[in-house]
Amino acid sequence: MKGAELVLQVLQQHGVDTIFGYPGGAIMPIYDAIYASPVKHYLCRHEQGGAFSAIGYARSSGKVGVCLATSGPGATNLITSLADAMLDSVPLVAITGQVSQAVMGTDAFQEIDVLGLSISVTKHSFMVRSVDELAATLHQAFAIARSGRPGPVLVDIPKDVQLAEVAVVDVAQQQPENRLTTSLAQSAKARQLIANAKKPMAYIGGGVHMASAMAQLQDFLHQCPMPSVTTLKGMGSVAKDNPYYLGMLGMHGTQAANIAVQQCDLLICLGARFDDRVTGNLKKFAPHAKVIHVDIDPAEINKVRFAQVSFLGDMQKILPAIASTTDCSDWLAHCSSLKQQHGWRYDHPGERIYAPLMLKQLSERMPNNSVVCCDVGQHQMWVAQHMRFSHPRNHLSSGGLGTMGFGLPAAIGAKLARPHDTVIAVSGDGSFMMNVQELATIKRFRLPVKIVIVDNQRLGMVKQWQQLFFNERYSETDLSDNPDFVALAAAFAIPGHSVSRKDEVESALEAMFTWPGPYLLHVRIDEKDNVWPLVPPGAANEDMLMESNQ
Amino acid sequence: MNHTLTITANNEASVVERLLQVTRYRGYQLAGLQLTPLAEMAGLLITLTVTSDKPIHLLTSQLHKLYDVRELQLASADIAALRA
Repeated sequence: MKGAELVLQVLQQHGVDTIFGYPGGAIMPIYDAIYASPVKHYLCRHEQGGAFSAIGYARSSGKVGVCLATSGPGATNLITSLADAMLDSVPLVAITGQVSQAVMGTDAFQEIDVLGLSISVTKHSFMVRSVDELAATLHQAFAIARSGRPGPVLVDIPKDVQLAEVAVVDVAQQQPENRLTTSLAQSAKARQLIANAKKPMAYIGGGVHMASAMAQLQDFLHQCPMPSVTTLKGMGSVAKDNPYYLGMLGMHGTQAANIAVQQCDLLICLGARFDDRVTGNLKKFAPHAKVIHVDIDPAEINKVRFAQVSFLGDMQKILPAIASTTDCSDWLAHCSSLKQQHGWRYDHPGERIYAPLMLKQLSERMPNNSVVCCDVGQHQMWVAQHMRFSHPRNHLSSGGLGTMGFGLPAAIGAKLARPHDTVIAVSGDGSFMMNVQELATIKRFRLPVKIVIVDNQRLGMVKQWQQLFFNERYSETDLSDNPDFVALAAAFAIPGHSVSRKDEVESALEAMFTWPGPYLLHVRIDEKDNVWPLVPPGAANEDMLMESNQ
Repeated sequence: MNHTLTITANNEASVVERLLQVTRYRGYQLAGLQLTPLAEMAGLLITLTVTSDKPIHLLTSQLHKLYDVRELQLASADIAALRA
């Protein structure tokens, strides 16, 4: 067997049946092995798109995503996606071809130092120097990608290693190295803090569902009634019928969430990291609160906010251990009142489509368990504010890196991971063009992905900041010469429709969902619409700008 | 403030780059570096001296996460300061 065939064999040993990539010279032996392999390869039209599809596959399914690229430009095109997976803790294995070792270091054709490039955007990376190390290295890559705080791992394989003969050896799959043990030594102290708190608050991030601790979270919130807020990645973690869930916190969070967090006296941070988009001015964030921090990554504890009590390890074990009865009925009533007082309003005047209302309609109309993949910008925040999700795996949004171009390829990966669920890519007119070539992937595999483009003919979020903080100097944010998106989709045999009036939305959504294949709905909105609330840079989270302030 | 870290790592080709990348990215300035290959277990003994006003635990917690780092020790003066 050749090294290239061994790669496919190891993938199968890890249960991988779907991979994404793009061939090229230095990875041709592996593509030759793919030709006869049961592992299904999905040809994307750009390596970044392929890697985002692998990320969408991983995030929507909980499995490890796998992507392939050739040396040089193929590998450099992966960098943005690797960084995205790094910041959003996505288990990803990227396999790159490298020029043969005989010419490595000579600036050979399509040679670049991929291992060096990968260092700051991966959890770990390998260069395989001998075919005898290949299987063990790939097993290690899978183990590292999914252990502890998950992340991307890159394996760079020179062409001569792919072509080398190797004896078939049954290399035992490496178990994830467990450097962490779950210590519950401080659980009594945590229970006491929770029991004594007058205004406790659960602050829930993506780490809860990634630890498969969704059930333990609901039990915790049931046993210790307290209000809760989520990060962008934590959305969908709290049961929809929980009356004390206040929504997303942070820069574009709900007023109720931000006000309540600022007032709380105990903040229980579960699988989140006090990101700057969450905290606003860190020194003024939750100023009266003691902190209990639960995470699997030791580097996140006390990184930006001191925790009075911290736990490292398995969320499934920690949550039941710290559960304690609470006595905060006045606080619960206060938070309910905040939620009611600051609810969203959809009574937008005029005939033009109001994106928050349209997304609310989309949310109510989409089938249960639909997956929504976002791009980055105003539409991304409107999705987070106005759509509801039953599980974080149903809301894929580029949170940490904030990568425009994420949504469409992520939707491709999600549709392949969950073929029986509806998958919707909600994009902006700026973001959509960043990986528009992946329409060809949708066409090739006849993937029934629904695409909604929220089009304000602007780079809307940048324009909003120019309006608010740069004296309305709209530098390079006008996209009024956008292509005809419906005609563009038609070029890829994807039907579509364009709407610009509120009274067209319901029937347009109906047409999109009843069409059996892929579909593009182009939604024209007013460029004057902005995302509110907004916590200005440097401000405390209670100092939100509202539309009425402008 | 100067901090001295003694690190035992796998003697992989990229391990020093990884240590230096984390040190730079997390905002610590390199003040000294010594490498000694260890005969046993293909290891590398690294003494890293860094300067920064930031608390040293923000660097050590990130270096600990590197897959090739087997063991990391702070100089005793630093440990005493952390415990204080």
